Amino acid sequence: MDAEDGCSKIIPLALPKGVKKLCELCQKEAHLQCTKCRVTFYCDAEHQQADWVGIHERICQLLVPIRTPTIFSLQQAGRIETRIKKVELIEICRLVTQGKLSEGKYQEALPAAQFCLRCSIDVHGPSAVQLVPAFLQLAEANMGLGNLAVVMELLSQAEWAVLKSPECGPAVRHQLHRILGRLHTATGNLEAALLHFSNDIYFASEAYGLHSTVTCGGYFLMANVFAKQGRMPIVRSLYSQVVHTWHYHLTEHLRTQVQNVENPVTVLEPCYDNSQQAEVDKMLRTILEFAQSDSRKDSTQIALAAHCLAMLWFLGGDSLKALGFGSTALQASQLIPNHDLTEPIQGLLQLVNGLQI
Amino acid sequence: MSGSLQTSLIADTSVQLPSKEEVALFRNSLKQNICVQMLKEGYHRSFSELFFLIHSNQDETASTKPGSVVSLLTPLEEQQDKLEAMRLHLTRAEQAERIGSWSVVCEQRLCLGQYFSAPEDLWLRFHFYHSCADREQGGCSRPATEARVCLAELYLQQGDLEEARHQAELCLTQADSGDWLDSAGCPLRLRVRRALCRIYSQLADAPLATANYDEALALLHKGYSIATESEDKEIQGDGAYRLGLAYQCSGDHDTAKKFFNTCMQICGTLQDADGLGEAYKAMATSLESEGNTDASVRCLEEFADISRSSGLLHNLVDACLCLGNVFYTMSQYKRACESFLQGYEVACQTGDVAPIQTAQVLVANARARSLIKTYSADVTSATPTALHRLLAWKDTRGHEELSADCAAPTTTAWY
Repeated sequence: MDAEDGCSKIIPLALPKGVKKLCELCQKEAHLQCTKCRVTFYCDAEHQQADWVGIHERICQLLVPIRTPTIFSLQQAGRIETRIKKVELIEICRLVTQGKLSEGKYQEALPAAQFCLRCSIDVHGPSAVQLVPAFLQLAEANMGLGNLAVVMELLSQAEWAVLKSPECGPAVRHQLHRILGRLHTATGNLEAALLHFSNDIYFASEAYGLHSTVTCGGYFLMANVFAKQGRMPIVRSLYSQVVHTWHYHLTEHLRTQVQNVENPVTVLEPCYDNSQQAEVDKMLRTILEFAQSDSRKDSTQIALAAHCLAMLWFLGGDSLKALGFGSTALQASQLIPNHDLTEPIQGLLQLVNGLQI
Repeated sequence: MSGSLQTSLIADTSVQLPSKEEVALFRNSLKQNICVQMLKEGYHRSFSELFFLIHSNQDETASTKPGSVVSLLTPLEEQQDKLEAMRLHLTRAEQAERIGSWSVVCEQRLCLGQYFSAPEDLWLRFHFYHSCADREQGGCSRPATEARVCLAELYLQQGDLEEARHQAELCLTQADSGDWLDSAGCPLRLRVRRALCRIYSQLADAPLATANYDEALALLHKGYSIATESEDKEIQGDGAYRLGLAYQCSGDHDTAKKFFNTCMQICGTLQDADGLGEAYKAMATSLESEGNTDASVRCLEEFADISRSSGLLHNLVDACLCLGNVFYTMSQYKRACESFLQGYEVACQTGDVAPIQTAQVLVANARARSLIKTYSADVTSATPTALHRLLAWKDTRGHEELSADCAAPTTTAWY
């Protein structure tokens, strides 16, 4: 259904007196109304369109019971029910935002993230720790759009909320510190970035373990800061840690995939969603290029990184890329004196070739 | 005016305001501060290791029953000095690792192994010594070799003889390849041999207890040959003594005596009165078993003289009692009694209750035997004249001197 059809001019006389309707997105005076739910208003068609694409299409009808006061909704039981519905809405918006963010659609993610935050404030109050995930998502979207001032504002609110609740778990703290680290990297405050990434890694290790890929992401971001400072030995060491962790995870993943499913068609099913795959691919490529252009020519690092990429693309179903990285890995692995890598790489290449025939 | 006042106020507060790091020191846990400090400087491997150790300590504590000794100890994450020490040495090691100076890496890990001396930190000692000795790169360096010797000694101390032997044998050639001193200035070559000798000697205890002499002797010979390689006379003497004892148990007294002689020579040059005494005592036992009682007595007298002149009272008690026993078995009760009495007097000087009591019993026993000897025939014959003699003795008997020992041992029953 076309969104343009879904709105009509507000007829002021049709509304209760003294109630000013505000735009869902910018909170300015509204002139348009969504015809489907009749409880959402916009200043212009552009905002209506943006909200429709961003989140409204998904939650349009869900808003009706929340925003329409009835006798029941004013009673205690009704209030509890509304609260439950709002919590459900928050979860929906969170997932939608996450999806858009991981696809890199930052502008589209804004309406959902904004609504999520507003709804969370409704439910939990203005500076509760439960708002932190919403703050972080909104900050993430703004970070993608380059609105660093907004990010800073949002993050200081998130920091305040976390600061006030010491019982807040390590997973949330890790996310907060990670995005703070990225903010400071973007603004060029490298020392502050390092401090935040250190805390990020610490909390991620608490939440997910030392060798999880989540923790690994922190190491990668931290390495980039050290690279900007020109401290190459540390970068090398961190990259090597990242590659080892991913190599372990991908090898395990490949092993279980091949073991569990003898049917080659199912092997081709991607194990990570596309956005995550793209992210890991970018990270591993950066490391591979770094190792290749490094004066040290560390064959082990090259072989490991290329092997990771080959496994990643094989699991992602792109045989050509898998073959390309696989042969890079094989070449590098043969330069290592005591190479026990050659065998798994050859095994992978055989698997890929077997699929192509 | 007001503008400049405000800026100066702001400047003042900014001076007083603590930095984010300083705030974190107060707000965050010790563990987090240490971890973040390491990470911030790029020491992520040190962080991983410390984090892992803290968590294994937590798991260990969590898996024990509440109220047990382990659960009452202060958790590792709350002990600032230990965490600081680990941070310092681990980061130094990581720094050295980045530039490939492996022996410094091992040096730092060895330091950590030696740092943890408390009994509850034994697992950390093992961790750091192993992480030093088992390294692929730098595993043949001096500190790695020292760590392996320490491991051998630790395993020996813990009673894990097989592992101790494994570690000690591993570093034997390693220690020979370099002319290294340990942190205290003792040659590693010597230290590993000392440990290995003790290990072989303790390993031999089990087969000795089950009378499996071949195996025990093989182990002890190994230990002795290692002892002779080292310049340490003390362990050589000890090795010879242990070998002698093993041969004695197996019944090969000739070989046993040979080793006791070697031991005596070594102890003589070392002026080790204790070792020398032990050797004489062991020699006496072998001689006695061969029936050479006179030689045995001479040996024991030597033992007593040595102990007396060097003031080793416990050994002197032992010597006197042994001598007494020899006389006693030869039925020379008077001499036995004298020896036992001497032993008793020395034991009284030491103040140890157990040897005093033993000596008392032995003196009494020998004395009784000695007194009753003349009348033992009367007791057994049971004739009226004999009975009269006994009664007369009973009436007239006051304090009597002990009857002189006759040369030939009597075999008469006395009851």
